[in-house]
Amino acid sequence: MIRPALAIARVKLVLELRRREVLFAMLLFIAATIVIVHFALSGAGAGGERAAAGMLWAAVVFTAVLGLLRTFAAESEDGALDALLLAPIDRAAIWFGAALAQLGFLIVVEVIAVPVWWLLFFQHGGPRILPLVGALVLADVGIALVGTLAAALALGARTRDVLLPVLVLPLLIPLVLAGVTATYGAFGEESDVLRPLGFLALYDLVFAALAWGTSEHLLGD
Amino acid sequence: MDAPAVSLSACSKRFGDRLALRKATLTVAPGETIVLLGPNGAGKSTLLRLVAGLLRPTAGSAQIGNAEACSAPRSLRAGLAYAGHRAQLYRGLTARENLGLHARLHRLTDLDIDAALDGVGLADRADERIDGFSRGMLQRLALARAIAHAPGLLLLDEPASGLDAAGRLLLDGVLMDGLGQRTQLIASHDHELPARLGVRTVHLAGGRLA
Repeated sequence: MIRPALAIARVKLVLELRRREVLFAMLLFIAATIVIVHFALSGAGAGGERAAAGMLWAAVVFTAVLGLLRTFAAESEDGALDALLLAPIDRAAIWFGAALAQLGFLIVVEVIAVPVWWLLFFQHGGPRILPLVGALVLADVGIALVGTLAAALALGARTRDVLLPVLVLPLLIPLVLAGVTATYGAFGEESDVLRPLGFLALYDLVFAALAWGTSEHLLGD
Repeated sequence: MDAPAVSLSACSKRFGDRLALRKATLTVAPGETIVLLGPNGAGKSTLLRLVAGLLRPTAGSAQIGNAEACSAPRSLRAGLAYAGHRAQLYRGLTARENLGLHARLHRLTDLDIDAALDGVGLADRADERIDGFSRGMLQRLALARAIAHAPGLLLLDEPASGLDAAGRLLLDGVLMDGLGQRTQLIASHDHELPARLGVRTVHLAGGRLA
């Protein structure tokens, strides 16, 4: 499954490098969100670590949904999904390849957006970097796995642009709660972050297994 | 006795309120070529997509070999090729990259991409992105992809659409080469094609096999 998944992920990353349809929109959205919320919060005098953590995770999730809306766009454009479905590969490889590409997009976006968030909210101090990065990476994996599964579910629907957020956002609530807890915990003791990081890892494992088991039936007619 | 390459048994397919295919029964022997003729909306494309396993029958069955087409094992899918109305290619990739992806997914380690493109007259456009290709060039590339892995079952849905005279000759050559060598099921509006190939014709109208 790994080889075809890597081949599919590579194609999607090459297409994005050439067309710049997804990443540019995601970057613009997350940067605008962080800047606008920063000024909104500071104007009201309602800053603080928890608010900053919450707004980062809200921005990450909504930005991810923006990217997920284009998950199978290249495959739908000219029927390329049919060619993938007919190939002698495990159909889970199609989902996994798309999830890998989404993971790549999210990491690129966060590499640029998180420093901006840090500079705006924490002129002095800030959360410990390692737990924050750990939480973001684990959450990115979960968002990519679950989001791509939801994108596959919504693929045949005429209203998929509406259906996808409706499907995916409730599933991401536990992930956001754990991410905020881990980020807020990163300001305090090391033990404060272990439980949410463990939860994120468990979430990833559960949804990876679920998606792997169901993708054969989700993709196709 | 060998199992038929393709067998439809009282196979129906419904899309919402519309019955696109009605209780179609058809058997295609290994190595046989059949041309499906019929007007637009007759059910030709639906029949081919059912055989390809891209659609699940609403009733009845569509089999390739001894397996249901929609749940055919990878070993059977490896010997199947389907080229439909759409080119089934990635528009942002070059012709070479599209065939390269096909080779990787089908584990064709020894596929000569240059020769495959040369065979359909696209050798000099190999490294161009296909979003600038004409309909006929896309059709040629789709044909190259369809036969690249030497399938035992070739399903073509109106393969001549968009092709120029040279392209049609090329297509006829591919179909002729396949006679007796592989099972071919071709949906077409070209009523002279069965005579040129010397093969059986099946007529479809209103979702029914005549």
